[in-house]
Amino acid sequence: MNISDIMTTTICTITSDKSVSYAAERMNESQVDSLVVMDHGEVLGMVTTRDVLSAHPNRIVADAMSSQPFYLSANHNVWEAYHALHQEQGGLALVMQEDQLIGFITKEIVEMKIAEYRDPLSGLYRAPYIEFIGENFLKERKPFHLLFIDLNDFGRINKLHGHPFGDDVIRTYSSVLSSLAEEQGDYLCRYAGDEFVLISTISDEQIQEYISLITRPTNVLDVFVSAAVGHVNGYQTPDFFARSWRELIAEASLGSSAAKLSKTLTSTMG
Amino acid sequence: MASDNNVYSRKATLSLKISEFEVPPMQDLLIIGRKAPIGPEAVRRMADALSPEQFTLIKMNHPKIEAVLLRNTLLQMIDEKLLMKIILEEAERMISDSMVLRSELKIALSVQREVDLL
Repeated sequence: MNISDIMTTTICTITSDKSVSYAAERMNESQVDSLVVMDHGEVLGMVTTRDVLSAHPNRIVADAMSSQPFYLSANHNVWEAYHALHQEQGGLALVMQEDQLIGFITKEIVEMKIAEYRDPLSGLYRAPYIEFIGENFLKERKPFHLLFIDLNDFGRINKLHGHPFGDDVIRTYSSVLSSLAEEQGDYLCRYAGDEFVLISTISDEQIQEYISLITRPTNVLDVFVSAAVGHVNGYQTPDFFARSWRELIAEASLGSSAAKLSKTLTSTMG
Repeated sequence: MASDNNVYSRKATLSLKISEFEVPPMQDLLIIGRKAPIGPEAVRRMADALSPEQFTLIKMNHPKIEAVLLRNTLLQMIDEKLLMKIILEEAERMISDSMVLRSELKIALSVQREVDLL
């Protein structure tokens, strides 16, 4: 989803020499939370209700506005906007299309949109998030490890203990995975049902450690839960960047299915 | 018995004081509090409009003081860091974040040299 779909397109302007109290009146009359500060057709910044509340009413807008406007292109998606706004002070960006100011977007609006991508059960992001991270890394030709994590015997847990208990297992296992994936450069999501995807930029040794921890049976609410992991190593796969995200996720999920099958065969033969 | 010829009058007394107006209405420096009714940008615009290129605005990261406007000639006579250190040390004792302080700052050079007689 592009930010042009969620931005505010009603742009009210004010010049920088007006008083803060005048800006407040303007906001009140126009029923808006922010004004674009423009002098002679040039955008200087934004003044928001927060700026107006924290500045003396006699001050001029130039002394109350958020300086250095931050720009985003209308083609940026919500994830890019989210990351960009988190690095910026002020939490507000002007949206441009071909040198034309077409709207603005706030951190709050983006966060509300992003919240729709959160899985309410686990608190983790859902698949579109990891897809954004993965595609971005591929675009930047930044190698990464892709882990597809599929819980073993989750259907059996549901059958034995009931679905509410299964939900508890998902919730608890998600927090176990979250605490594991806390390195900078780790991105985790609940992909679907009992499947999770982790993107990580840690070393080969560390990722092997992750895999061994994830595959080892863990006591979750007095039930031993393990997972099958499919691993695509972007640092060692020669044609990694020639492949699409869809191909990589397919390979990782097939890897986890193969790991599951080999575990089943081993336990049957054993 | 009240008279019908009551006199009603309104008078005003005028007092006029005339003194010289400084342009700009400040001396050598202004110290601007973070919540002062006039902010640094307005102060800069005022100084630029009334005395172009004669003042420099120095913004700072200080809990109470947002910026200091200084006459350029002072900066030509003494190092900026040293000058600011002295100004801040003295100003922060009395300023609140809603005040603007006006200050006069004169630098007098005292030199004593010994020279060999011919």
